[in-house]
Amino acid sequence: MPGTDRLHTPELFSEILFETMKRINVGIEDLELYELRYALENVTPEDGWDSVELDKPDEIEGLIGGRDFYTGIQLKPRIGDRIVLDESIVRLTRMLFAGLVSGEYTEEWVMAHFYFDIRGFYFLPRTVYFTEDVLAHFGGKPYQRFEQKQKRFERFQDVGYRDFKDANAEIDQAFIEIVKKLIGARSTPMLITLAGPTAAGKTEITERLLNAFEQAGRKFTTIEVDNFLLDRDDRDDKPMGKESTHFSLLMRSLEMILQGKNITIPRYDFIYATSSHDRDGNLKAGCIPLEIEPADIIFMEGNFPFHIEELSGLIGIKAVYLTDDPIRLKRKWKRDVDYRKKYDPAYFRNRFFRTQFLRAEDCYQPLMKVCDIVVDTTGAALWATPEIIAILNRD
Amino acid sequence: MTTLILNDPNAFSEILFEKMKQINPGISDLELYEFRYGLNDLVPEKGWGSVKLDDKKEIEMRLNSREFYDGIQIKPKVGNRIVLDETIIRLAQMLFVGLITGKYEQDWVKAHFYFDIRGFYFLHRTLYFTENVLAHFNGQPFKRFEQKQRNFERQQDVGYKEFREANAEVDTLFIESVKKIIAFHGTPILLAIAGPTAAGKTEIVERLRVAFGQAGQEVTSIELDNFLTDRDQREAKGIHSEGKQALHFELFKQSLEDITHGKKISIPRYDTVYATSSHDLDGNLKPGGIPIEIEPADIVFIEGNFPFLLEDVVHLIGIKVVYLTDDQVRLKRKWKRDIDYRKKYDLSYLRNRFFKDQFIMAEIAYCLQMEVCDMVVDTTGAALWVTPEIGEILRKN
Repeated sequence: MPGTDRLHTPELFSEILFETMKRINVGIEDLELYELRYALENVTPEDGWDSVELDKPDEIEGLIGGRDFYTGIQLKPRIGDRIVLDESIVRLTRMLFAGLVSGEYTEEWVMAHFYFDIRGFYFLPRTVYFTEDVLAHFGGKPYQRFEQKQKRFERFQDVGYRDFKDANAEIDQAFIEIVKKLIGARSTPMLITLAGPTAAGKTEITERLLNAFEQAGRKFTTIEVDNFLLDRDDRDDKPMGKESTHFSLLMRSLEMILQGKNITIPRYDFIYATSSHDRDGNLKAGCIPLEIEPADIIFMEGNFPFHIEELSGLIGIKAVYLTDDPIRLKRKWKRDVDYRKKYDPAYFRNRFFRTQFLRAEDCYQPLMKVCDIVVDTTGAALWATPEIIAILNRD
Repeated sequence: MTTLILNDPNAFSEILFEKMKQINPGISDLELYEFRYGLNDLVPEKGWGSVKLDDKKEIEMRLNSREFYDGIQIKPKVGNRIVLDETIIRLAQMLFVGLITGKYEQDWVKAHFYFDIRGFYFLHRTLYFTENVLAHFNGQPFKRFEQKQRNFERQQDVGYKEFREANAEVDTLFIESVKKIIAFHGTPILLAIAGPTAAGKTEIVERLRVAFGQAGQEVTSIELDNFLTDRDQREAKGIHSEGKQALHFELFKQSLEDITHGKKISIPRYDTVYATSSHDLDGNLKPGGIPIEIEPADIVFIEGNFPFLLEDVVHLIGIKVVYLTDDQVRLKRKWKRDIDYRKKYDLSYLRNRFFKDQFIMAEIAYCLQMEVCDMVVDTTGAALWVTPEIGEILRKN
């Protein structure tokens, strides 16, 4: 076996891996061998690298393409009182390291199916968002393309707000203009929804959109979908959707506000994880609902499957705001770990790995097949349906 | 006016954001959003208006007293989560509020504290170049270079490569100087390098080894920790784990003497897992214990935190060096190395421990060693300090 020596000697292994990984993730070039070794220590198998059994590439492809792999990921596995990386995540990274060094896996294959996050020091599968169905829905090509300024984040280990905002300036501006045009072309009140994965940049673009409406003298209001959540105890871990929300209340409220009426909606308490309303949609004793005034533009932002059929018909513009998974993860390192100090780093890594795939399959892929606009900040491309493009081209 | 601000969290954070840009220019790279995320953990339950401010003199006194640091808890918990030590939180809260109300001037805050962005807390500035140390070195460095670590000012963390590049000049001069001193004294020679965590000891030792190797000199090293006695015995006596009493001191002294005479030595082996020594308290090998054999060499590194605080052996050490990097830069190195890469510590544990150890270690180890060493390499100040005797040797050759 040509690879045996390399797998046998830890020093040699890490040296070869270091060179190989520079080609997989160019950011590794900014590390010293020392640093790579520090990080590698945490994933080094007890019995050495030659103890790692390598699955065949097609087996691995099958594994990472299936839902079961992700639902099996534990979020908080422990060794002693310390949360650690999930076993199957560790095994995947070990296989890829060992396979790259021994030559069992080609670099092209690894790069095609995985990306490597430096701070997490692990491989994550690449999730496809622009599936064939999605591409077909948008006529196969984007409406507008800009320079991909996020390319410069390639070497970054984390990404802050300012860099992110600067990189997206053009596409964000174009998106805002399109939304303004569409509103002008249609009647109000109008409901606009914006969905997107965590750390894609929803909050920031929402703020900019609302500023734009304000400057245009439009009366707008926002509805947080989260307020329609059932008590956490009643949701049984079901994903955001019909089963986990006061869905009929949501429908009725939207219908009424679109008729220009005041609405009274549930209020969700994030600290106690309870709703002001019971499961039957009645106000609980002592609870205070939210009152919302009518407006021209009703804006709903969140991690919600707005494609649900009954709801879909009420929405004037359904937009999806996307940022590539490697960039979202880098944003979360800075925001959720460095600044907010919200998560244990191992829990955080397990959770991102797991939900990246599951959310895409449950929420974003189906939504993208039926939505009006997709903003792809990393690809710096705006995708619009032929119908929307027809409206935009009218004048 | 200020009462209004203290009662309005949004106004408070907005004004604080502007003030903090003056205290730490790295804050300018943040958006207000991000600053608020960082600040959230420190917002007092009863609002900023509830923070009582101590007098500046009182704060200065407290921050220079050992008791304050001894009292810092390293792993205080709320629920099962490790949190920042209370007194550390209180200090940050006071400084934030005092900056807003004007009770503490920016200059005073900057003179006594530095603000670490990733940790989002204030730490005391520890003085390493005390009057005694300055006197020991005749008041000025042997040579100064451009302070390239200034580039790190706005950074939140610092990696190996940029650190090495920033130190290239002073490191090179240091290595050349060590070579000259060795040429002057002759070999075998004992060389000890002390320095705080993340100052860059490992890297400079590695470069020295390479340099000696290229010059055809044999190099070996002795780890002080191997001379530790069994932990049970040390704890029973309540001995500080690094002092003379904690070591097989006679063996240590004899070993150093022997190896400086070019003899092969056989030293105790300390098992860090079981916390036991291969040798008993009388310095005899325990049954089944395996000592460490060390071949003679031209240059022998002594590795450990307190290599030249041991009076009876200090005369055996040919070159005594303290390798220093400013506390704020060390902390930034630790964020990258110990948190990002090694994932070794809980974030709050690291913050508590660094705050505490920075002062205590300076007091018990580094300041004292700086007063008796031959050279100090100050990487952040980009300066090499040498004693008058060493200065003479270096100038002659």
